[in-house]
Amino acid sequence: MNWLKKNKLLVGIGLFTLIIFLGYKYTYKPHKTIENLAPVYTGNSIEFLQKSSLDFKQWNTKIIEITGQVTGIDTKGITLDNQIFCQFKHVEKLSILSQNQKITIKGRVVGYDDLLEELKLNQCILK
Amino acid sequence: MESWRLHRIKRKIMKKLIIITLLLFSQLVVAQKYFTRTGTTHFKASVEAFEPVEAINNSSTSILNVASGDIAVQLFISAFQFKVALMQEHFNENYMDSDTYPKTTFRGKLSNFSLENLQNQKEFPLQGTLTIRGIKKEISTIAKVSFKKNIIKLSSNFSVEPQDFGIEIPSIVRKKIAEKINIKINYELAEKK
Repeated sequence: MNWLKKNKLLVGIGLFTLIIFLGYKYTYKPHKTIENLAPVYTGNSIEFLQKSSLDFKQWNTKIIEITGQVTGIDTKGITLDNQIFCQFKHVEKLSILSQNQKITIKGRVVGYDDLLEELKLNQCILK
Repeated sequence: MESWRLHRIKRKIMKKLIIITLLLFSQLVVAQKYFTRTGTTHFKASVEAFEPVEAINNSSTSILNVASGDIAVQLFISAFQFKVALMQEHFNENYMDSDTYPKTTFRGKLSNFSLENLQNQKEFPLQGTLTIRGIKKEISTIAKVSFKKNIIKLSSNFSVEPQDFGIEIPSIVRKKIAEKINIKINYELAEKK
């Protein structure tokens, strides 16, 4: 108690620094990356489509890991089974893929695109 | 007997003709559209001297009908990426309610649009309806369009105000968020096959 009274200023500065530090850490917390997030669905892409088509909204922003066949490759991503577009996180990975190849992808569900009638994923990485 | 055979041949020819016409027609329709799934939409609501309030959406879908100039855009609010993770969280949860209103759409028209002579960038008036949080607003702006190597590059910008879409900004941060929000779009459209 005596020590606390003596070093009031020091304790004050210490507490102040701690609050600033915690506040800063909270405000500038890093983005959660796809690599570190656990998928809420793992399985076959066609089965996922059947399941999610009941209520697409519910799956928005969820992380999923799906296996399917590559039916299209463009400059930013691939199409799985003609109905799921996966935008890649690292586009250089696209060059190792080929048509009709069976692959597993982890990505974040953006949502169901009514314009193109397909499900859209982004930040996709190969598994 | 003879007439029956003739009838069969006639029917076969008719069938083929129908198929050919359908094929030709479908190609004609499809060839008129250009699209992207990975268009860039950027918005900025920064006030000088404060932390920048801006985000980018690299997953915007857009379809342009080159015959009529009709354009449709759809993007998901939650796909906007901010530099600061907490700001992104607040944007989705407090301001945009992206759980309730996940999408933003734009339906409009490029006036007097034609693909001819578009090697160099040209400007077209762009008018349409922007829907954010289920609230519609008419937008009128200018779009810059060029057409090279079978890619249509379309860019434009316009500004909106948060209150137009019923977005309330708490007074504590009012000074840190601009009155007018500038939206920039940049889409590279490829032919839809």
